[in-house]
Amino acid sequence: MEVASSAGHSVTPLGGRTMLDLGMPPTRYDIALDLSGLTQIVDYEPNDFTITVEAGMTLADLQRHLAMNGQFLPLDHPQFERATLGGLCAVGRGGLRRNSFGGPRDWLIGMRMVKADGTAIKGGGRVVKNVSGYDLPKLFAGSLGTLGIIVELTFKLRPVPASDQIVAIAANSFDLALAAGRAASQAAPFLNGCVALSGEAAANARSHGAEILSDQPALLLRANGLESSANEVLAQALRAARQSGLDGPELRTAAIVETWQAVTDLELQTPENHVRLRLGLPPANLIQAQGVLNRRLPDATTWIAAADSGLLFLDVPGVDAETVKSLRNELGPLQGRLTIESAPIELKQACNVWGPGGSGVRLMHSIKETFDPQAILNPGRYVDGI
Amino acid sequence: MVRDLIDAVGDQAVVWHDEDLLVYEYDGTIDRGNPDVIVLPANTDDVINLIKIANKYEAPVTPRGAGTGLSGGALAAKGGVIIGMNRMRRILNVDVENKTAIVQPGVVNLDLGAEAERHGLAYAPDPSSQRACTIGGNIAENAGGPHTLAWGTTTNHVLALELVTADGEVQWIGHDTRDEPGYDLVGCVVGSEGTVGIVTQALVRLVPKPTAVRTMLAVYDSVRQASNAVSAVVASGIVPAALEMIDKMTIAAVEPVLNTGFPLDAEAVLLVEVDGPQSQVDAEGARVEGILNRFEPREVRSATDPEEREHLWAGRKGAIGALGQIMPNYYLLDGVVPRTKLPDVLDAVYEIAERYRLPVANMFHAGDGNLHPCLLFDEREPGATERVLDAGGEIMRVCVDAGGAITGEHGVGLEKRDYLPWIFTDADMDAMKSLRAAFGPTDNFNPCKIFPKGHGCGEAGHQHAQQQIAKFGPKAFV
Repeated sequence: MEVASSAGHSVTPLGGRTMLDLGMPPTRYDIALDLSGLTQIVDYEPNDFTITVEAGMTLADLQRHLAMNGQFLPLDHPQFERATLGGLCAVGRGGLRRNSFGGPRDWLIGMRMVKADGTAIKGGGRVVKNVSGYDLPKLFAGSLGTLGIIVELTFKLRPVPASDQIVAIAANSFDLALAAGRAASQAAPFLNGCVALSGEAAANARSHGAEILSDQPALLLRANGLESSANEVLAQALRAARQSGLDGPELRTAAIVETWQAVTDLELQTPENHVRLRLGLPPANLIQAQGVLNRRLPDATTWIAAADSGLLFLDVPGVDAETVKSLRNELGPLQGRLTIESAPIELKQACNVWGPGGSGVRLMHSIKETFDPQAILNPGRYVDGI
Repeated sequence: MVRDLIDAVGDQAVVWHDEDLLVYEYDGTIDRGNPDVIVLPANTDDVINLIKIANKYEAPVTPRGAGTGLSGGALAAKGGVIIGMNRMRRILNVDVENKTAIVQPGVVNLDLGAEAERHGLAYAPDPSSQRACTIGGNIAENAGGPHTLAWGTTTNHVLALELVTADGEVQWIGHDTRDEPGYDLVGCVVGSEGTVGIVTQALVRLVPKPTAVRTMLAVYDSVRQASNAVSAVVASGIVPAALEMIDKMTIAAVEPVLNTGFPLDAEAVLLVEVDGPQSQVDAEGARVEGILNRFEPREVRSATDPEEREHLWAGRKGAIGALGQIMPNYYLLDGVVPRTKLPDVLDAVYEIAERYRLPVANMFHAGDGNLHPCLLFDEREPGATERVLDAGGEIMRVCVDAGGAITGEHGVGLEKRDYLPWIFTDADMDAMKSLRAAFGPTDNFNPCKIFPKGHGCGEAGHQHAQQQIAKFGPKAFV
C-alpha cells in the first residue's frame, strides 16, 4: 500500500472473488491486491471461544477447524469454500439467517488493517466484550474495501448446537410459502432460519444438493439447540405455517449443511442475461413489498426470501433504469432498500445500483476522505460514488 | 451565554447557580468536573440550538444522561455546558411485529424493558444501574450487563440513530433493517462515549421474551473453585443467559441491607441463569447444575418464580450501592480478559489489593471474562485516593498482560485515557482520532475523553497514571 499510494495507483483488494459483481466497477483499477494467501490461524484457545485468523482463510476452512472443537462461526455466506473471511467481512452482510445470527459485525471483536498509506492499524482485541477505543472493526466491516485492507480478524464463536433440524414444506405458490414463513417466524421467534423459495429457486437448490421434496415452491424452517427445544420450536413454527394454509408434503432432511449451503449459494446464481435484485426491509412489510414487485415485474423468476428478517432476492430477465427508479419510489414508504446485485454494465451505469445513500451519506464521504484521501481504494464502487 | 441559553429553552431548563451545579460535578468515578451551566433540552431542535450557542461562545459541550457512568464520561472536564438529556424521556413507538422501538435518549433502561415486556418482548442490555441509567448513556458507552453474555452488548441492539454532531447538524444514520449498504455509522457511534455527537432518538431492537427462566445460586468456599466452575460452564458449550460471580466482601455489604440469602461466610457465590423454551431450560439447567456440583459447592439453589429470581438478582445489581456499608468511596474497575485467564487474573487482583492495603469487592460478569474489582477506600484519608489509582493501574496492567483490555463496558472516559497506549499504538489512536474528526470539528466537544493528553484536561491529576505507566513502560501489548 505504501508503494501504491506513493505512486497514486488505485487498489482493489481481493479475497475469494465471490462478490466481484457487487457495486459499480471501480473507476480506476491499477492493482489487484490478492489476500487469498493469508490463510493462517494466528491464535486459537478453544475454551476462550474466540479465534484470530488471517483475512484470506476461507469460511469453510475456518468452520472445519472449529468443528473439531465443537464450535462454529454463526455466519452464512454463498460459496463458502471460496469466500474468505476478510472478503465476507468487507462485504459485511448477514446471510439468510441474519435474524438469529446478525452479520459479521456482530461476531467481529478485533481486526488488523493496513491503511491506504501503508500504515498498519488495529481495533478491538481478543476479548468478547470491549469498549477500549473506537470500534474500528465495525467501521471496516461492510466498507467493501474502500477504507483499508483487512489483514487479520478476531471472532467470538458459538458451540455447535446439539441438535440441528431443517423441515422443507412444499407450497403451491411462492406467495403462500412467504405468508406461511411470516406466520411461522412470528409464532416461533426462536427459529434459526425461515426461508421461502420459488419453484425455480427450489429446483436450482435441489440440483446443487439441497434435499427438498420437489421443484415446487417451498418453505424451509430451521431450528437448533438441544434436541427437545429444537423440536419444540419447529413444532410451533410448523403449526403456524399449516394454519396459514400451507398444505404441501414436508420433508425432514438429514443433509443439513448441504441443503442450507445450496440455498445460501442461490445468492450468487443469477441465470444468464438476468438481473438480480435485493430488497431489505422491515419483515412486517415483506408480503406487501413482494406484491408490489410481483405486479411491476411479472417476469420475475427466482424468488428467495428470509421471511423472518425482511430480505428478498429476485431475478428478472430484464429491467430498465426507469422501472428501478419507480420501484424505489413505491417501496420507499415500506422502508424498502432495493439494490442491484448483478446486472449488465449498461444498467449499472444507468441507475444507482446501491440506491440513494440516505441522510448518513455526508458522514460516509467524510470518513472516506479521512481514511483514503487520494481515493485509491476501490474508487467509485460503493454507495454514492464512494 | 447563559442569557442566550435561557432564551433558547427557557429559564426552567437552565441550571447555573453554584449550589445547583454541585450535583453535576460527578458521576460514578473518582474524578470531578466543574461545569459552568447545565441545559436540559426538550427536543432535537433544542439540542441543535444549544450546541450552536455553545459553539458561538467557544464553550466546551458535554452530553450527560443519568450520571451513573463509571469512567468520568459525563463530566465537564474543561467546564462549559453540560447538555442533560433527561427531559427527552419518551418511548415514541413500539413495533411489535418488527420487534423494534423508537426511544428518546433520556428513557431509563428499565422503563424500556418494562414497556417491551408488556408486548411479550425484552430489551436485552441490562446494566446493573438500569433503574436509573438512560438509553442515550447506554449507547454512548456501549453498555453491557449480566444478560449480554447470550445476547451481546448495546451495539448489537441498535439499528438507527438520530445524531446531532458537534457542528449542530442533525441526521439519521442506520436503517430499519440490518446490513444495508454503506458504512456502519451506527457501529461507529455506539461506544464512542459521546465524543462524536449527541444521540436524540434511537431505533432499538427488541428480542423475544424467553418463555421460561431458571436462576441458580451456587455457593463456594473458595474463589478459585468458583472461577474454575465458571470456566467449566463456558467450556461446556452451554451459553447461559447470565453467569455472574459475587465474592465474600460483596456479600458482606449486600446481605445486611438486601437480605438476599447469600451465606455470609461463603468465599464466593455464582449466579447462573438459563432461559429459553421450557424444555431447554429444564435440560440446560440440569447440565449446568451438574457442572457446578463438580467443583464441590456448599450448595446449589434454584429459583424459577419471578419473585425469588428478582430477589437473587437484587443482590447482584444492588451490590455497588451496598458497598457504602463498608467504606464511603469505591473505585470500580472494568478489565476484561480471555475467559481461560480468569482464575489467574482474579488471584492477581486479590494480591494487588492486599499489597496496597485496600479492601476489594468483586462482583462481575464472569462468563464474559469481564472483571469488576471494586477497591474500597475513604477519600478523606490522606494518600488513599492515590493508592487506589495506583492499584487500579496495576490491575489494568494484569488484564492487558493476560491478552485483555482495560475496559469491557464502562468506557475509557476521563478516567482510563492515560492507559489507552497500553493496548493501542499511536497509529491505532490516530486512526480513531481521524474517525472522530470525520464527524466534524470536535475540539470543544466532550473534550479530554478516551485519548491521552489534551490541553487543560487536568494534567496534574494524571501524574499518578503517568508514573504508573512509566513503571511498566508503554505499549506492552501492541
